[in-house]
Amino acid sequence: MLPLSLLNTAQGHPMLVELKNGETFNGHLVNCDNWMNLTLREVIQTSPEGDRFWRLPECYIRGNTIKYLRVPDEIMEMVKEDSIRQRQAASGGNRGRKWFSWWKYWSRRKQRWKL
Amino acid sequence: MDNFIPGQIFTTSASLVDSVDRKLLVVLRDGRKLIGVLRSFDQFANLVLQDTIERIYVGDAYGDIPRGIFIIRGENVVLLGEIDLDKEDELPLRQVPVEEILLAQREEMEARQKREKLKNKLLHDQGFSVDFTETDLY
Repeated sequence: MLPLSLLNTAQGHPMLVELKNGETFNGHLVNCDNWMNLTLREVIQTSPEGDRFWRLPECYIRGNTIKYLRVPDEIMEMVKEDSIRQRQAASGGNRGRKWFSWWKYWSRRKQRWKL
Repeated sequence: MDNFIPGQIFTTSASLVDSVDRKLLVVLRDGRKLIGVLRSFDQFANLVLQDTIERIYVGDAYGDIPRGIFIIRGENVVLLGEIDLDKEDELPLRQVPVEEILLAQREEMEARQKREKLKNKLLHDQGFSVDFTETDLY
């Protein structure tokens, strides 16, 4: 599963975000997007030296300021279930008109060229 | 002759797909060394590492801090390399407890800052303008 998909799966879970300047933000992930922008709630912000702390009810972090994120180990279990669910949804949704005519074309092509 | 064709003869670009599910050492721009199992990556080389430890090296000693799952933003990675699981058990370094290595690291950093300060002062006295304090390995 892609890193950003894993992040999406981790919505609602606590995590630690370290920024490029060394500040850390501990909180629950509310939302994230394709640029790794995040909104967190119930956040503890720590200075780079580790000596000062702030409590923020919510915060927004621009993705390009992030160095890394640490997520709880349980996320891996959830990711496996999520990717199975996604694959089922995708294969179910694919039985559309456009997909079917492409599938017919491809299976005929395979037969003709014995692919 | 066929036996001598190397397996990687057709490399056209770098790919991390061969490194997935392998134990890697990742060096970040801030100088951190993380060792973990690569689980996934994307076109920006954002990485997902599982069972990661942060290893701090000071002199001939090292100490590990267990860290769990990392999602690393690709631009912060300097390099990564696969860890040879056999050679990993025969390191020429000695492992020490975390508190000890953190102490040693702080001492080393203070010594380095003292040396830099002295060097900058000497250069300044000679007429050089010194304003280089880069801690980014980039």
